[in-house]
Amino acid sequence: MTPTTEDTVLADLTGMLTALLEDEYGVDDVEITMTTTFNRDLELESIDLVTLAGLLQEHYGTKVNFAEFLAGMEFDEIIELTVGRLVEYVVQSLKAAEAG
Amino acid sequence: MAMVDTGQLRLHVQRMSPPDGRPVTATAVLVHGLLTDSLASYYFTLAPPFALAGIDVVMYDLRGHGRSARPATGYTLDDNIDDLEALLDRLDVTGPVHLVGNSYGGTVAFGYAARHPERAASVSLIESEPATDAWAPKLGNILDRVLHELAHNEDDAIAWISANRGHNTARLARGAAKLARETSLSQDIPASGVLTENQIRAVRCPVLGVYGGDSDLALLAPWLQSVLPDCRTVVVPGHEHSVLVEAAGTVGGHILSLIQEASAPEAVEVAVR
Repeated sequence: MTPTTEDTVLADLTGMLTALLEDEYGVDDVEITMTTTFNRDLELESIDLVTLAGLLQEHYGTKVNFAEFLAGMEFDEIIELTVGRLVEYVVQSLKAAEAG
Repeated sequence: MAMVDTGQLRLHVQRMSPPDGRPVTATAVLVHGLLTDSLASYYFTLAPPFALAGIDVVMYDLRGHGRSARPATGYTLDDNIDDLEALLDRLDVTGPVHLVGNSYGGTVAFGYAARHPERAASVSLIESEPATDAWAPKLGNILDRVLHELAHNEDDAIAWISANRGHNTARLARGAAKLARETSLSQDIPASGVLTENQIRAVRCPVLGVYGGDSDLALLAPWLQSVLPDCRTVVVPGHEHSVLVEAAGTVGGHILSLIQEASAPEAVEVAVR
């Protein structure tokens, strides 16, 4: 099994976001990095984040709970959310699940 | 993503159940507001803590909104209540449920409770009201004002919103303008049938009204309490119409208390004795 690192998780998320952007908006040329914001850079709406939550669950199972992660945030924090912050959360959740 | 065909159209539904196979103590159905809203307003706020508390949470996008189908017509309040009824029938969620509605979603939720009192265990209205004679023209005026300004010169209006209210609000406004352009929503809502005071009084289950202290709707709280047999209201200071997303913890806490109380009436009765 590939060890969980920020790079592998970023690659996973890039795949999910690329598919989502193409399916919903027909966009296929977006560069995604750790500093990319969901709202301003990717122009994702909150309903797209619901779709992303489903993709994360499909990929990682119940170890990663995106809804709970966002539910713990202030509204402004969600608006400013970066791909990097989600990557860190996923890595942390996966490591916690391995340890537990 | 779960699409459910109600027989009329396809609605986007999300369900969040208690984790780790914990027992379900109640079912809650959450209905979002008009134009700029979707089930996402619940998915990332009330739904996770409700599921943790043992509630099976059902959320869906109203027709025309979020990921649900967008037919050109059929946007009266009764159409929305028909959709909710058909959806719950299709999901086989026909026992008493706890209805929660934000803004217009609360008007839909209350309308469902008025149509089927036996199917409502409680109703929580967030910045919302039942459909009265006064409600329809009031909402019609708001829709007219917002959409007229957007339709008059959409680019200028969006630029103004972007500069004064931020990029996110501007994008939401653009989405709202598109929904209004593509559908009969702005004509249908003000033409909706409304409830008589007797029909409103007939909702005998516990009702909670939650309002932002700086919202005009907070003025409705005393009327709601006077007209309904079992009603309490809470005003959250320092908030306006967006109190659900801005103060989700407070709003969710009040609704959860109501649901837990209403789900265990015998226990409460025994405790009181």
